[in-house]
Formats: sequence, C-alpha cells, structure tokens
Amino acid sequence: MELLEYQAKELFKMVDIPILPSQTIRDSRKIKQLQIPYPVVLKSQVSSGGRGKAGGVRFVGNTIDAIAAARSIFNLSILGEYPEVILAEAHYNTERELFLAIVLDYELQCPVLLGSPLGGMNVNSLLANIQQVAIEEEFSLFYARSLAIKMGLSGKSICSVSEIVAKMYRLFCEKDLDLIEINPLGVNSKGELMALDGKVAMNDYALARQPVVKTLAFSKQQSKTSYYNSLRANRDFSKVSWRWLDWNNATGKVAIICNSFDSALLTWDLLKQSQVTPACSALIENSPIADGAENIEPYRKQLENMLDELESFPQIEAIILNIWESVMVSQEIVQTVVDRCDRLEAALSVAEEANESQSLPSKIGVLPRFILRLLHEQELNFTNTERIYLSGNLETAIAEAIATTEPE
Amino acid sequence: MNWSTTDKVIIQGITEHRAAWHAIQMKASGTQIVAGISPGHGGMKIEEVPVFDSIEQALQVAQIDISLIFVAPYQVLDAAKEAIAAGIRRLIVMTSGVPPLDAIELVRHARRYDTLVLGPGSSGIIIPQQVCLGNLEPQFYLPGTVGLITSSRHLSYEVAAELNGANLGQSMVVSLGNEPIAGSNLAHWLSILDEDHSTKAIVSIGQRIDRIKEIIAYSEDRSYNKPVIIYLAGLNAPQEKSYRDALTIVSNYLSASIPAVNRDRQTIDRLETLGMKIVQKPSEIPSIVRQALSAA
Repeated sequence: MELLEYQAKELFKMVDIPILPSQTIRDSRKIKQLQIPYPVVLKSQVSSGGRGKAGGVRFVGNTIDAIAAARSIFNLSILGEYPEVILAEAHYNTERELFLAIVLDYELQCPVLLGSPLGGMNVNSLLANIQQVAIEEEFSLFYARSLAIKMGLSGKSICSVSEIVAKMYRLFCEKDLDLIEINPLGVNSKGELMALDGKVAMNDYALARQPVVKTLAFSKQQSKTSYYNSLRANRDFSKVSWRWLDWNNATGKVAIICNSFDSALLTWDLLKQSQVTPACSALIENSPIADGAENIEPYRKQLENMLDELESFPQIEAIILNIWESVMVSQEIVQTVVDRCDRLEAALSVAEEANESQSLPSKIGVLPRFILRLLHEQELNFTNTERIYLSGNLETAIAEAIATTEPE
Repeated sequence: MNWSTTDKVIIQGITEHRAAWHAIQMKASGTQIVAGISPGHGGMKIEEVPVFDSIEQALQVAQIDISLIFVAPYQVLDAAKEAIAAGIRRLIVMTSGVPPLDAIELVRHARRYDTLVLGPGSSGIIIPQQVCLGNLEPQFYLPGTVGLITSSRHLSYEVAAELNGANLGQSMVVSLGNEPIAGSNLAHWLSILDEDHSTKAIVSIGQRIDRIKEIIAYSEDRSYNKPVIIYLAGLNAPQEKSYRDALTIVSNYLSASIPAVNRDRQTIDRLETLGMKIVQKPSEIPSIVRQALSAA
C-alpha cells in the first residue's frame, strides 16, 4: 500500500522528522481559511509520479491565486487519477537537496539504506551518485553515519543527516514498511534539514497489524487495491470462495478457472505458448475436504456464481476448468456444468416450441464450450458431449480449448 | 540430512483451520505426530493427538525432531522462536503471508541456532511412501530417483504426474514456498539433493526467474554431480510483483519512463551455458530426465 505524500508526512511527524507547516484541503473554497502565511506551495495528492511536470504543483502568492490554482489542480488528472486532497505547504529556500531512502532488499534479505548527495528531480544524476549500506544485523547509528560519509557529507551534516536516517529506520521497522524515501531532503543556508517530499509504502501482509492504517483516511484509489479490500472483507479461509486474478485481455476468447494461483499461471502460460492469450482467469479456493451436502452445496453455488459472470462476457468461447481436486469435488464440478448446459438446452427448446427463438439466440449463440481438466476421469460419471469436453491431461485439454476457439 | 519415519513431529497451531485435517492425512501416511501446540487449548485431544499449551510441556512426554508451524501469520516468528528455544532444529512453516520483517528476523535467528527452516508458505516434504510432512498429497507421487524442488504444490503435482506416467518416480519432493523471504533457498536444497544417495536427477520447478540467480551462483561456485533440469512456469504469464535488490527497486520507480531491461532472456542464456536444461512445459520433463540419466 503506497501512501500519499501528506500521509507519509503524518508518519514523519510521529518520529520528529522535520516537515514544513502544512494543511490538507479537500475543497478549493476552504483555501480562504489557510493558516499558513503566503507564499504557499499547492501539491496534488496522487499516487502516480511526475505530478510536477504535469502541473500538479503550483506556487501561489495570495488567496485569489490560490483558489484558482486549487481549482485547476482538482480538475487535473495525473495518469488518470484526480486528487481528492491538495497539500498546502509553506515555501522553503534550499541551498542543496539530498536523497535518502530505506528499502527492503529481497536479494540480500535485509533493509538497505540508500542516499544520494544529488537529490531532487534529476533522476540520472541522483542514481549516478547513489550510495548504499546494508543492515545485515541490528541497526545502530553508525550505519547511518557510514552512509552519510559515503555520500560525501562533512562536518555537522554527517550527524544531522544520520539522525534523520535513524528516524526513518524506526518508522521502517515499527510500521512494517517496504520503502521509505525523503526526496528531496532540503538543506538551507544554516545547514538545517527539512523533508520536502516523501514516499512511504507499507507492506501489504502487515497492514492488519498496523493501527495507523485506520487513521490515514485512504483515498478511493488506495481503497481499490485488492489487498486492502481482502483485508477489509476479513476473508474466512474455512469457506469456499472465488476471486478474479487481475489478468485481463479484452480480445481473449478463453477463460480460465483454477483452484490455485500456480495452476492458473501454468494454464495461462501453456495457452500463451500456443500463441493464444486468454481473456481472464479466476480462482475457486478453499474447497470442501469432507463430504456431505452441507459442504458441497456452497461449492456448487460459488461455481455457478463464477460461471454466471464469465458467461456475461460475449467474447468468451471456451471456459477451461483446470481443477485438481478429489473425486467428490470433481464429480460435483461435472454435475454443475452438465446441469447448467441442460437447463439452457431446455430453455432453448421451450422457446423454439413457442416460436420465440428470436428472443434467445443471442444468449445461446454465445454460450461457451466447457473444457474440463479434472483428475480421476475414469471414475467420473460422464461422457463427452458437444458442449462439454473432459480430459485428465492438461495439455490435451488446452489443445481442445484452442481448437474450440479457432475459426474453421 | 536424514528424514525418516522415526522422526517425532509436532504441529504448532493444531487448532488452526485445516491443521487437524493435515494431521489426519500425515498420520495415515505413517508420520509420527507426538503433540499439538496451541496456547490456551492444553489438555484436549485433536485426532488422538494430545494438545499442549507450550512446547516445553510437550517435551516432558515426548522427544521432538521436527515442528510443522500452522499458526496465524503474525504468530509465526514467535512460534518459530519457541521451537528453536526448545531445541528443535528442523522447522517447516506452512503459514504464508508472514510480514517480511518477521521473516527476516526468523531467518537470522534460525541461522544463529543452526536450524533448518522451510517456508514460510511451504507445503512440506515428501519421500514417496516413506515420509510425509506438510500438505503435499502423497497419492500423487511414486518412489523413484528424481528429486523435485518446487515453489508450489500444484506445479509439483503436474510434474510428478508426467514423471509417474513415464515410470519415473521421485526420491524426494521439497516445497520451498513462494514467499519473497524464505528460510532455506533453492541453492541450499540443490546441495542437499546433490548429496542425497537416492537422487539421480533434480528438477527445479519455479515461478520466479529471480530465484534462479541462486542456481547460477551455486553452480559457478562448484559443479553438480547430478543433472539439474529447470522448469519455469509462467514466463509467458502476467508476472506478479517481482522482488529484487534495493537499487533496482529504487531505480525502477524513480525512472518509470525508462523501460526495465528484460533480464529473463539473459538469465536463461546464462543457465544454458552452465549446462542446465530448461524446459517449457511439464510434458517435456520425462524425456529430458531420461536423456540426462542415461548420459550420467
């Protein structure tokens, strides 16, 4: 979960990282009540980068200019995202700008301190001068000093900058962060430091144990992220459930249903190897482990639910179910799909008898073919039909799905 | 490292969802589960397994060799430390979703006490028809000479099914899990299987190309005695978040406009020059294993 600048600065405040006096604005008219003396910087609070170049940051000298600037910022989308909040901040005269960050390094399996003496907007010179110190044991201030010295700092700034790094490290651990960055860290003529812009990403796995999440007022964009949703839904792992994977291709004709992420990955990969890009993929998870109607009925409901949604996409011509389950669950999948097709055939013949077939063909015409890849195929009570194909072999099933969608 | 049917196993978090179900499965395969640990539930029995509030109490009635950890993600670090403090030196962490800072602490702590940790997010270990630890389903494997190291349960089933169909059984199947921070990595298990007498060839099944770096580092360091076959599932599928080094992470987001270099191709070329076989799909594996075995 990436935080917006003003949320990141709320965390900075908690550990006394110096930030400028600021105020958040959710309505451009409220800017009249600004408590900060002009000139002021207005900054669009969006998650995407590049807001400065896009016009999302404005310097204003008085209330009239501020209202106009705030209006235009609220109406400016940056990579498709409109800000819900503008941060109004005092102006700061910097003599020099530094870059500081702490990132979890997955190769070294430890946090790494990063710093560049050339902070700010010029990414190339920033990266060309970047220094790093890995924290392989418990953190101590000397690691931060070592970074400051590598950055070429001298005199008092070695200590003042390393104090800031230590505070960042404290947040990094206490709040379970993936990343914390101050860029730029402004240095004024007196050598005082100020965090002018910041970036913080909290680890998704740890969100549920971070009470601060509740006080940060997430934007719509942030709330949309799937992990945040799953957290709020408080998923019950003892019950069968289904979900989409966010892999989509509007022109795909094959949909994939699997019971694990890895099977979905494999199925997608095999289709791609045959130059077929699937349309989408969904997972059905937490299958029943004991038999009995009370266990199997919810499974059937979830499966029906999934198929209802998939069939509402007219471009889908084949649905491949690659589900590695017990005989009991496999039999239930077969039965669910057979019943579904029977219901539709029945509806079609009723409509034909009543000579109302015009009202149905659109629905019938797009009904996809089902390709079932299930285990224990010999034990399942089923023979292939025009609508449903069953195989125990994955690659045979994939070939069948491809054949189904290829023009004759 | 010896894994045998005489190992005494405990389940930490036996009251967690599905832990009891896996206990039944493992017992049916001959695994000796001597105790379950669940603070606050001491004194009860789950599937004939006595439950204790702490490992210390369980130690008074049984010797313990291995702990399987099923506790909730935020309790994993504590549970692992309890097991290590009680002298258990082999841990299999089944739970996934452990926050990375906890996982890092777990890895460091285990290293200090010379403890082997599999996971977080592991599915366990199987030696077909002998040892069954975790939730890999034993009926999908047959005894043989191919060692499998896998990031995921289902991919190992697919590969085992292909091998079984070609009368090539498995000597050992190890699930590393697919979490960004792991207690023991690919290189570690490659060296274990390389020394294992019943293993003649090794198949590494993975989803993430970044993990393959471990194979490169290992094989540059020393040469394998046994053929290694690499199957990467999902190279053509939409990739999930990748987990790299700090500098790459920072450069990637700072310079979002510069396209990230496609390093996958380079990695694959590198592996091939090191003499490793890369396969595209499970069905290709048996013939390549056979070739490798006859050449060896």
